[in-house]
Amino acid sequence: MILRVLLFLWLAAGMIAGFLWAPLVPVLGATTRVFYFHFPVALVTTLAFGWSMLHSALYLLRRDLGHDDHAAGAAELGLLFCVVATVSGSMWAKAMWGAYWNWDPRETSIFFLFLIYAAYVALRAAVDGEERPARLAAVYSCIAFVAVPFLIFVVPRIYFSLHPDPLFNTRGKPDIDPRIMLVATWMFVGLTALFFWLLSLRVRLGRIERARQDA
Amino acid sequence: MPTGRSSSAGAIWAILRKECRSEWRTRYGMSSALLFAVTTLTAVSFVTGRIVDRTDILAALLWIVLVFAALASLAHTFVREVEGHTMTMLRLVASPTSIALGKLGFNLLFLMVLEVVTVPLFLVLMGGPPLHWGRFLAVMGLGSAALAAAATLVGAVIAQTRGRGALFAAVSLPMLLPVLAGAVSGTRGQWNGVPVDAELRLLAAYAAVLLGMSLLLYDHLWED
Repeated sequence: MILRVLLFLWLAAGMIAGFLWAPLVPVLGATTRVFYFHFPVALVTTLAFGWSMLHSALYLLRRDLGHDDHAAGAAELGLLFCVVATVSGSMWAKAMWGAYWNWDPRETSIFFLFLIYAAYVALRAAVDGEERPARLAAVYSCIAFVAVPFLIFVVPRIYFSLHPDPLFNTRGKPDIDPRIMLVATWMFVGLTALFFWLLSLRVRLGRIERARQDA
Repeated sequence: MPTGRSSSAGAIWAILRKECRSEWRTRYGMSSALLFAVTTLTAVSFVTGRIVDRTDILAALLWIVLVFAALASLAHTFVREVEGHTMTMLRLVASPTSIALGKLGFNLLFLMVLEVVTVPLFLVLMGGPPLHWGRFLAVMGLGSAALAAAATLVGAVIAQTRGRGALFAAVSLPMLLPVLAGAVSGTRGQWNGVPVDAELRLLAAYAAVLLGMSLLLYDHLWED
């Protein structure tokens, strides 16, 4: 209980600091503030999908349904974070680039991740039984793991060569204000904690449901 | 047929022959894929008219017609085994890997037949600049190999789910997007007369990685 209140206060403090304490970046103006939300959420999305893939591979090796709970839970939560990152990034793109969507490499890669894990969740829902959905979903996760590097690193290089990299690169210069990095890191820590807390609930739920079915 | 479980070239060849024979008996998969391709092609050609100089659009349309025609039937090889309750028998006589490789070979043949009919028809109906044959055939070949490798693997997963057909397109699309990107870009490149080495490398690498992954994963797919 106390931890949850602390997490709430931590995230609230980060949001307030983003609005009142951290400076604005000249070119970006007021849209700087989405950075404290969008960037950490996108990082947590990647973390969640990575976590899901890791546990899928572990499931295939060890056949422990606990790993499957982790894989499924992380994929579902990752989808949630992915939608939030995509929508917040899209709103920022409307403000800065003039369009909600223009197949920038970053937009492309996050959208492909979304497609893969939406298919993963749909696949799980379509398989009967207890062990079989876990096994098939883990196999699918491993196949998807092959596609991800191609989608993120190779395809944008040959296919969308006209698109510029996002403004993060120009902002990533060493002269970035340390206060901005501090708030972004603060939010990342908070949102990561939020993710693992929600994941632990999902894993516990899976364990309880299995115990009930066995009883 | 050997009595034990075997993943030798002989077993793969036997599976491939068996697939071809059962397809030849009904011709259900091939005829529906060809009809699908021809109808889609007609619809596309009818609504766009001749757009001979738009190589970007032509390349995209060609591969979209091919991919969706292929998707309509490529999962069929595994689904047929599950629906006919013959999968267990098949697994008694051959290892999962040789079943998979045999079916991959069949899907590749299937795609080639589909392309031999669809691609000339597309070129006749839609037109387009003269082909650079070497590059065009290389893009077609490697694109089909990557497409078959992805579709066979996903088909094996999908065959064990409820509502197989509906899910197949959705689940295999993320795997097919790199293939589509590389093949469309390569087809457009050969029409425009620019080198397509990067696209060919992408397609070859992707097909090779998928094939390697398939060999690792097929043993996990069929256990019950």
